[in-house]
Amino acid sequence: MARGIGQYIVIRGLMIIPTILILYTIVFIFLRILPGNPVLAVVGTKNISPEQLQHLMEMAGLDKPLYVQYFDYLWKMLHGDFGVTLAFPMGKPVVEYLKLRFPATLELTIFGFTVSVLLGLLTGTIAATKKGTKIDTGMRLYSIIAYTLFIPWFGMMLQYVFGIHFHVLPTSGRIDPGIELQRITGLYVLDSILTGNWEAFTSAISHLILPATTLGIVLSGAYTRLVRNNMVDVLSQDFIRSYYARGVRDWKVTWYALKNAFIPVVTLMGLQFAILLGGAVLTETTFNWPGMGTFIVDRIDYRDYNAIQGAVVFFAFFVGLISLIVDIVYALLDPRVKY
Amino acid sequence: MKSKVLSLALLAIFVFSVVASGCIGGEKTTTQTGGAGYAEQIVIGVTDKVTDLDPANAYDFYTWEVLNNIMEGLVKYKPGTLEIEPALAESWEVNEDSTVWTFHLRKDLKFADGTPLKAQDVVRSIERVMTIQGDPSWLVTDFVEKVEAKDDYTVVFYLKQPTSYFLALLTTPPYFPVHPSYSPNEIQSDQTAGGAGPYKIAKWVRDEELVLEANPNYYGEPPKTKRIIIKFYRDASTMRLALQNGEIDIAWRTLRPTDIESLKSEGKYSVIEVPGGFIRYVCLNTKAEPTSNVKVRQALAAAIDRQEISNKVFKGTVEPLYSLIPNGMWSHIDAFKEKYGDGNIELAKKLLKEAGYDESNPLMIQLWYTPTHYGDTEADLAQVLKEQWERTGVIKVDIKSAEWGTYVDYARKGQMQVYLLGWYPDYLDPDDYTTPFLKSTANSWAGTGYTNPTVDELLTKAQSLTDQNERTKLYEQVQKILAEEVPYIPLIQGKLFVVTSPDVKGVTIGPDMIFKYSTIYKEKG
Repeated sequence: MARGIGQYIVIRGLMIIPTILILYTIVFIFLRILPGNPVLAVVGTKNISPEQLQHLMEMAGLDKPLYVQYFDYLWKMLHGDFGVTLAFPMGKPVVEYLKLRFPATLELTIFGFTVSVLLGLLTGTIAATKKGTKIDTGMRLYSIIAYTLFIPWFGMMLQYVFGIHFHVLPTSGRIDPGIELQRITGLYVLDSILTGNWEAFTSAISHLILPATTLGIVLSGAYTRLVRNNMVDVLSQDFIRSYYARGVRDWKVTWYALKNAFIPVVTLMGLQFAILLGGAVLTETTFNWPGMGTFIVDRIDYRDYNAIQGAVVFFAFFVGLISLIVDIVYALLDPRVKY
Repeated sequence: MKSKVLSLALLAIFVFSVVASGCIGGEKTTTQTGGAGYAEQIVIGVTDKVTDLDPANAYDFYTWEVLNNIMEGLVKYKPGTLEIEPALAESWEVNEDSTVWTFHLRKDLKFADGTPLKAQDVVRSIERVMTIQGDPSWLVTDFVEKVEAKDDYTVVFYLKQPTSYFLALLTTPPYFPVHPSYSPNEIQSDQTAGGAGPYKIAKWVRDEELVLEANPNYYGEPPKTKRIIIKFYRDASTMRLALQNGEIDIAWRTLRPTDIESLKSEGKYSVIEVPGGFIRYVCLNTKAEPTSNVKVRQALAAAIDRQEISNKVFKGTVEPLYSLIPNGMWSHIDAFKEKYGDGNIELAKKLLKEAGYDESNPLMIQLWYTPTHYGDTEADLAQVLKEQWERTGVIKVDIKSAEWGTYVDYARKGQMQVYLLGWYPDYLDPDDYTTPFLKSTANSWAGTGYTNPTVDELLTKAQSLTDQNERTKLYEQVQKILAEEVPYIPLIQGKLFVVTSPDVKGVTIGPDMIFKYSTIYKEKG
């Protein structure tokens, strides 16, 4: 069994490589197909000579044939080097930006993920235990509405209500200006706990509430439906009836049913994490959250090939890693899974 | 029983939300109070970005604003005016033909960290710009032959040709002395050592936050507010919400016209309006058909109604412009208004007829714009222009757009017929609004292909004359030729809007459009 799971992990791990390679190739091709180039986007309407322009192109490595650019970057990536930025500031290692921006996205994703799972479990469980009632219909309606909400619109509604109308929560950023926080992991909530900086902690949490809730609510809809359907299925099984017959309390039965209905939810959690990262791009833009999403959008404006490629590949690697972990957890939870 | 559990769970969530909101939120107070009767900290929101903290390479308006607050040149504009006053230099002399300029530095100058600033630092910094050859280096290399330190406090510039507006050039960042820790021969985009300005950089997180603190070694009056925090926003809507929620004290560059209008009408904020030196214009390709025909270009100029553009597209946040030289700058004349009027459809029809176009044989043109670079009003601007031109009944306009990188490429290669661009000045002199557009050796970036030896000669002469009256005559002549030949059609001149919470005072922005943070303050309260 141990050897089996070892092999399984290695094989699943290796599958991340072609995924990343395909994604890198697609991003590389798309960026080059689009007209215009990063140097011109930066130079704009400035009066520079063709020689200077050529010099800048050479500095950015854009004078080389496409296949050379492709393999050069790939080779660098294999060595953990994501190249240097082509736009402002020129020549700064992309990896420095990834280090700076990724923790912000991760923090938002973790909180959004937690909100979505908790809400999904709660609403799904309520719907299942109230099957056929108005509450069930209400919860199912919630799941559809939540799933179809457009993040920027919903985020803005929350900003208006809690920021502008009630003045109880900040509408943008990660922390109040002027608060100094020692950076250890880059996750502000964690760093503030580690350093015992409670002013930073409350500020970071307050800044997280609206974006994490936006993301969490939008993505909770899928959980609601899945949990409800699985719970309904489990609740109709014989072992549940036997619990009731033995006089086990209602909440305990619900808990046992939830545990049994949980395995498919784990799979969804893996998939949702990837979607969450995608949703984080929209959420970050809405809440001016300085993460990977806003970084990629900024860099697209500049046509910064290296930064876009680096960020997308890094994202893909991370999503692949999470999927791998989820698969392993799933395999461990469900004895029916064969390695 | 089940319903009790559920009710309790829902109640718990509700209570948690309320408590969390109450404990964590509350009215935002971005201000801490300090000495001197003023708040210690002011937070400014911007949607612009700092591109490069190296004055040898920075070449955009917002970055120049930041550099102007952390550095200073030998001279500077008196706040709110076009008058040049001493800065790091306390006096200067110029030889008769204005080719040798000698500056005498103050004796007590220091960089923000206490390192003394001497004439050699000025020379080193300028030679650094010349060596690095970054984007704005032409502001030095086109004019300065060499620069020397005669002693610790005397700097002498030897110019390539007489340059009457050299003091205006000296107010630009490439001439600012930088701290010795800037590398002598390479660009340092994230260098925070700065120079000898009223503020120093305390914290810099690109595209997120810039914290400035008063420079204890500044030679002049200390800034009124000890700490200025700049928060960078991706879009104007989020910045507006942050202002309304009290997360920032000042919303600066750039709110949308609709936001300004609505914040004004709320009556809770101070909306400060400043004339801006940036201009918008239409470029016309003089080498490609049909805009190679001067009658066509004149007709397009005649049909434009600038007041309508200002009202419809920009909600009155800009003013009509009838020359490339902006309103309020010496030598400006309303050349296009004098020649064509405004929205003169009859004249446009007449000119088109002379060019061989009528209702049965309409003029077909492609109007290009770029969707985001100049804000989100650009598509509306293109649409209004199309409507105005099509009012003649003789012009059919096809609107096209391209993203900035592509747009610039098309412009440089002369691939567009009619297209929209904008201009922020490098230095405040009519030369900066004429030479880069009209001089045949300087206008390749614009893609209009315009050349005129007479204009070249007039501009060269204007550059070398020191008498402002003489120069005025030459620039007036150039503007008349521009209106006659129409390689560009000036449209509007921007205004700047600073929206502040009511307790913020002391906002002063001059014609140089640079916001000097040292004058702003917020009374304790």
